[in-house]
Order: sequence, then structure tokens, then C-alpha cells
Amino acid sequence: MTRKGILFHAKHAFMPNTLGYCGPDERGLIKEGLEDGIPGDSVVRTLERFEAAYPFLKLIARNTGRQVFDYEVPEAYWIGNSLLDRIPPPDFYSFSHRELQGKDHAKVRDLFRELDGKATPHHSFYVMSTYAASSEADGANVDNESEKKIGTLIDNCRISWGNVVDVGREELKVSYRPLELSGRTLALAEPRLKKVRYNPLVKPFGSVRRGAVVSLHWGYACDVLNRAQELNIVKYTLYDLTQVNQYLAARK
Amino acid sequence: MCIARVGRVAQVSDGRARVDFFDGRSLGEVDVTMVKAEPGSYVEVFGNLALSKLSVSEARVRKKAWEEVTAKGGRY
Repeated sequence: MTRKGILFHAKHAFMPNTLGYCGPDERGLIKEGLEDGIPGDSVVRTLERFEAAYPFLKLIARNTGRQVFDYEVPEAYWIGNSLLDRIPPPDFYSFSHRELQGKDHAKVRDLFRELDGKATPHHSFYVMSTYAASSEADGANVDNESEKKIGTLIDNCRISWGNVVDVGREELKVSYRPLELSGRTLALAEPRLKKVRYNPLVKPFGSVRRGAVVSLHWGYACDVLNRAQELNIVKYTLYDLTQVNQYLAARK
Repeated sequence: MCIARVGRVAQVSDGRARVDFFDGRSLGEVDVTMVKAEPGSYVEVFGNLALSKLSVSEARVRKKAWEEVTAKGGRY
């Protein structure tokens, strides 16, 4: 287990935990670990109690000969990297049945059947496919207003990326491409400006500059991405979009 | 990340509901404008938005699957 990997994971898990959407109610502990830059055992134990993120890390680690908190493992899950290409589809299918909480088995089966091995254990795929599968159950009232709400939800919940155009004390202005839902099709819209929060006490945000590319989760800047990560998050997000749109199109 | 959770609606007012997620925490506030939820309804919630309403039998199956996995993983 590496400190770097734990920190990277904690940075991306922090905001949904703060909002109460995943993991135990330990936001103070995670924040403290991030600001110290030295996550203790208690932070690791907290991260191990996330109901979906941690099982995904275990899936990626055991299929690639890595430890759960090796940096490349949470990087694969949140951003995307070549480790994702090494997860055998049958293992991901089995994992989705047996290790993910509360999944509807029939929907998991339909999803994997439709995508024929193209599902990836990537956070964005999980987010988008959860909507895609959920939207069938009750025939959600998908008028324009509802599509806007769902699009905003998915956009906040996925990891997106933005180019920093202005740096405030605890706020960044970024240019980013929001994900939108229209006619049961997900797509990235044209770039627009958005204000997001960041914690200047969490490295490397104390020295973040205009032009940096940052990962975003629920209106919060998680980390500064390097060029390879920037390319990967675009690549895997577009791949996930294509797969989920195929699934949605088959059910129109 | 956020997970799709199954919860039972306790109260509804102006498109917002208080939902019990059976996790021992206080009730969560959820936007239920997309589903016809009423007290006692089971809903599937993603983030703070109810995406669908579940039948009692569907909710039982999902809740049971959830409990099995949490018991196996020793979480909660």
C-alpha cells in the first residue's frame, strides 16, 4: 500500500462522503488526512468501508497483481489507465453480481449482455450505467426538466476534468465540458466556465496555477492531473459514454 | 463516488422526501419529483435524486442483496 495511492483515492472519495452519498460518516478524518498528507490507519480503514469504491479497487488490484492502494489502482478506477484493459469481462460481470451492494441481478445481466464484454470497471461507467439501468424500472418521467436533473446528477457524480482559468482563495474557475442528457443520449456539451471549490491545504493545490488541469467531483477540485492522466480521463470517459449510449439506444 | 441506494419514503413535501436508507443514520432528503412517491414507497436513489420507484418485492430483493454483501465484507 502506498501513501500516494491512498491520498489519490481519498482526494476523489472525499466530496461524495462529505455529502453523505457513500462511505461512513468520517469526513473530518479524511479531510485531516488529506491536509496532513500522511493518511493514518484510521483513514485507510475508513476508505475500506466505502460500499462501491473499495470493492472496485479490490477487483482491479487482484486482476493486475497490484495492491489495492498502489497508485495505479485508484488512478485506474477514478481517471482510467491501462490496468482497466486487463480486467477480464467475466470477472467484472461476476464482481457486479456478487460484490457490489444492492445491484439488481437481472439488470446487471442485461447490461453485460448488451455490451458484450465492453463494460469497464471505471467510475464513470459505473455512474452512467447505474442511471441507464435505473431509468428503466419505473419509466422515470423523462421530460426536459427531468433530463436536466439527471444530466446534472451524472455530471456531478462522474469524475470530470477542467482547465483552470482563474485561482481564488478557495475557489477555482475552470473551463470544462459538462455531461448532458438529451433524448436518452448522454453527451459532452461545449466547454463552459464553472466555479469549483478546492482546499489550498491539500497538496498540490497551494500552488495551483492557471493552465493546470484538475479532476472534479461534485463541484470540488480533487487533484491536479498530469498530461497522461488528462488524456486517459478523456479517452475512458468517451469510451464509457459510447457503451452506455449503446445500452440506452437498445432500450428506446 | 455515489451508490444507487434503496430507501423507504417516510415523508413527502413539495417534491422532496425524507427517506430511510436502513443504515442507522438520520433520514436523507431526496428529490422525488421524477417518481410518484408517497410515504411507504420504496425508491432507488442515486445521489440525492430518486430515479425510480420499486415494488415491495423488488425492494426486498435489493435490500437482501445489500445486507448479504455488507455482512460478507464486514462493513457496517
